[in-house]
Amino acid sequence: MKPRTTRVAWIAAASAAAVLGLSACSDGTGGGTASGDATTLVVQDYYGDEPQKTVIGDLLDGCAADMGVTIQRNVVAAPSLVQKTLQQASAHDLPDVLMVNNPDVQQFAQAGYLRPLEDFDIDTSGYPDGILKAGSYDGTLYGLAPGVNTLALFYNEDLLKAAGVTPPTTWDELKAASAALSGDGKYGVAFSAVATYEGSWQFMPFLWSNGGTESDIDTPEAIGALQLWTDLVQSGSASQSVVNWSQADVADQFKAGKAAMMVNGPWQIPGLEATDGLNYGIVQIPVPAAGDTLIDPLGGEMWTVPNTGDDAKEKKAAELVACLNSDKSQLQNALAQNYVPARSSLGTQVVAQVPQMQTFVDLVANARGLTAELGPDYPGSATRIYTAIQSALTGSLPPAEAAAQAQAMK
Amino acid sequence: MTLQAAQGGAVSAAPPSRIPDRRRVLTMRRRTWIASALFLLPAVAYIVLFFGAPIVKNLTMGFQDYTTATFYNGEAPWVGFQNYVDMFESPVFSIALSNTFVFTIASIAGQFVIGLAFAVFFRRRFPLAGPIRALMLLPWLLPLIVTGAIWKWLLDKDSGAINRILEALHLTSTGIPWLDSPSLALLSVILVNIWIGIPFNLTIFYSGLQSIPDELYEAASLDGATGWKAFRHITWPMLRPVTNVVLVLGVVYTLKVLDIILGLTNGGPANATQTLATLSYNLSFTQFEFGQGAAVSNVLILISLLFAAVYLRLSRRSEAAE
Amino acid sequence: MSARRRGISTALAILILIVLLFPVYWMVNTSLQPNGATVTAQWFPFDPSFHGYEVALAEQAGNILTSVLVASGSVVLTLFVAAPAAYAIAQALPRRSGPLMLVVLVTQMIPGIVVANALYVWYSDLGLLNTIPGLILADSTAGIPFAIIILQAFMAGLPVGVLEAARMDGAGQLRVFLSIAVPMSRNALITSGLFAFLFSWSDFLFALTLTTSPDVRPVTLGIYSYLGAYVNDWSPVMATSVLASLPAVVLLLVAQKYIAAGTTAGAVK
Repeated sequence: MKPRTTRVAWIAAASAAAVLGLSACSDGTGGGTASGDATTLVVQDYYGDEPQKTVIGDLLDGCAADMGVTIQRNVVAAPSLVQKTLQQASAHDLPDVLMVNNPDVQQFAQAGYLRPLEDFDIDTSGYPDGILKAGSYDGTLYGLAPGVNTLALFYNEDLLKAAGVTPPTTWDELKAASAALSGDGKYGVAFSAVATYEGSWQFMPFLWSNGGTESDIDTPEAIGALQLWTDLVQSGSASQSVVNWSQADVADQFKAGKAAMMVNGPWQIPGLEATDGLNYGIVQIPVPAAGDTLIDPLGGEMWTVPNTGDDAKEKKAAELVACLNSDKSQLQNALAQNYVPARSSLGTQVVAQVPQMQTFVDLVANARGLTAELGPDYPGSATRIYTAIQSALTGSLPPAEAAAQAQAMK
Repeated sequence: MTLQAAQGGAVSAAPPSRIPDRRRVLTMRRRTWIASALFLLPAVAYIVLFFGAPIVKNLTMGFQDYTTATFYNGEAPWVGFQNYVDMFESPVFSIALSNTFVFTIASIAGQFVIGLAFAVFFRRRFPLAGPIRALMLLPWLLPLIVTGAIWKWLLDKDSGAINRILEALHLTSTGIPWLDSPSLALLSVILVNIWIGIPFNLTIFYSGLQSIPDELYEAASLDGATGWKAFRHITWPMLRPVTNVVLVLGVVYTLKVLDIILGLTNGGPANATQTLATLSYNLSFTQFEFGQGAAVSNVLILISLLFAAVYLRLSRRSEAAE
Repeated sequence: MSARRRGISTALAILILIVLLFPVYWMVNTSLQPNGATVTAQWFPFDPSFHGYEVALAEQAGNILTSVLVASGSVVLTLFVAAPAAYAIAQALPRRSGPLMLVVLVTQMIPGIVVANALYVWYSDLGLLNTIPGLILADSTAGIPFAIIILQAFMAGLPVGVLEAARMDGAGQLRVFLSIAVPMSRNALITSGLFAFLFSWSDFLFALTLTTSPDVRPVTLGIYSYLGAYVNDWSPVMATSVLASLPAVVLLLVAQKYIAAGTTAGAVK
């Protein structure tokens, strides 16, 4: 009967139209790269915090103005940058300039996402070997870091003075000082032993300075370092909660006066300066025995040029990376983020303005990249390290067994 | 002329007009079929488009060596069951499996009971019931990042508000290591998950309760059946379809829970809160072993599926038996 | 119920609310702390600092609007897609409903990241990244299956006799659906719509995956942007969460009025 057929047909048409309309209803900015326009570069980074966000933004704008390009900046939250990059890689939609946290550079290079920086004209003179190595895969340079950071021991001057304690320089002194500073709801020392790469990162200075290596933690040297941390927690000098604290949490504890000393990095300095009534000092992390050398891990982010298939853009992108690594940019970046400029010659200029950075400048000279030994296999060892730390510090296993079991993990 | 009259007219007429009659009935059935198909079309299209490809992809990923390079060049060597073998051999897997069961069962039990209790309570009409019930949805509404952060502070051993309250009430002398002790961490995460899930259960149960006519309760109270008796004999049976939905969906969603565990403990301490969902995430995104991560998530999907299928079959059978 | 009993019920309800929402209070408390202090946060913000709110309002107002648009769109899409499907499954195919519902359920078992990764590639090719319709479609992956499940459970209980009678009277399926089934399912529809809104409102994964610029940025992502790699300033985060909760709470307050009692008396077997 006619009315019904028409009605059915109408429903069919409407549904089809709806489905088609929804999928066709796309407007404006699709994808990440503006195609065919060599004067707009897409830059992706994770500097969402202030003051980094503004500082890096200014640096980018400055370089862009010099180069005559416009920047389309995409700031991604730090924990999601890797995920985002992976998705973009699968869609062949990578940004023109990508900031990569240094442990991830090897992974991305091995996977073919990045262009070797040697293909372009970038000045890498004046960089310590450690930094160049951290950005290289298989001997080829892929990422260049304008600034780096590392770890040191921050201490609360007032609390130490009140307890009659001087900043420790060896492990034994660390244990004694922490014990003396603990009690009454406060802890002598705080560090991050969380079940993520942050925990592994914080463990490195202790592991390496004791002669241990991240490729095999079932060794006396590694177990010795693990024992130190375990002793600190079990004696009450460090809170049990370290197994759950990120470096940001550790800093919060220090700022609140709940921890007299903390292991942390220079990026915390602005926050410490802003805390009323906090008098703090910085020394290098204690070494196992007097006279040992401290081997600190290198942190920091690198700028890379992803493979976008657009030669003209990649050239411009490389120019931007070079600009971001110029002396002027390095200095601006370092001062704003409290990083150590990558070029050793610039260190003194930073210290002139921010004296607290002296310790860090000295430490960076001997620092080692996290991926220096294992390259793209670093994630596996980092996981084993934090697994061992967690087992030992929670008392689930004694350090020797914790290390052995963790090392046996695939 | 209505269809009825036409049919009536046809039946009482001579045999030749039965053929048009059957055709008319068939046409009506076919029309119903077409209408149903069209009603289903948008949903089917949506599900196929948005879920079909991902699930196939996840299934195949479990059999491949999928790395960061694969995202770019699409090459993923076939490794057969190796990912699954590795997974089963890993000591973390059995821990994660048992944690998953404990986490899911305890979370569901808590959310279900409390949500239902609240729903029954709010069925009464008292001033401010509406706004209060709406506000009780807030735990579910907050971004999980925020919820994780807040609970992490509240549960902090030394300075968290919960411990401070407990100490002030003299219920404990030192801080309880809610998130730091392997024996307590899973319990803490379960409690937070229950907190988040109560509003979901509350709202659905409340809606279901509204459909139970007041007259039934009135009639029952005349017979002396109130309170618990009324609940057992009226509320509970009549809520059966809602209960099924809440339980099955609850299990499916809880098995997938990821962000809150990552926010509170990252699966630690010492894997005490590592579940299959967090293990899958860690394998994929921190160790870049996407094939293994997919294998674990496939196991998770299988568990979900088995539960749903078995539960629905059982409840159908018991419904038929009634 | 006597006035006294009502009063006690209200008091009890408020007590439950206080206990349950203590963490939410803590969120508001933290949003007003100076310097984003967390460890030393006092019980009450005696010295409230509104800098978190200043930042939040200045930067997130547009994002909140985006979230409202996406969530509302998701509600409309969800109901339009799910209601007819649920009706068809419940009424026309009751014997097949078991396997069909299992299929719908399976969609909910898939980890979100798997769907997100697949969608990214697809959206990138189609130019749907950074669009509101794109987000509406993606966010409905939680709402549509859920709505189908809820509505199907509900519509299976609609009085078949009434529906059949209408059909016998010559009404087409569409008319029966729109004029009878839909009004009778009002509770379930409102509940499904509410959840569709809330699922979309709180979605983070698709917001993160399917946007690559600040142009279209739901508020869940806006909050995340305050969490940097090293230092977290919590007051804008908490302030944004408070502000972001407001539209949803308003919606809840309005919607719960419509879930009236007894409108579908006898609808559930």
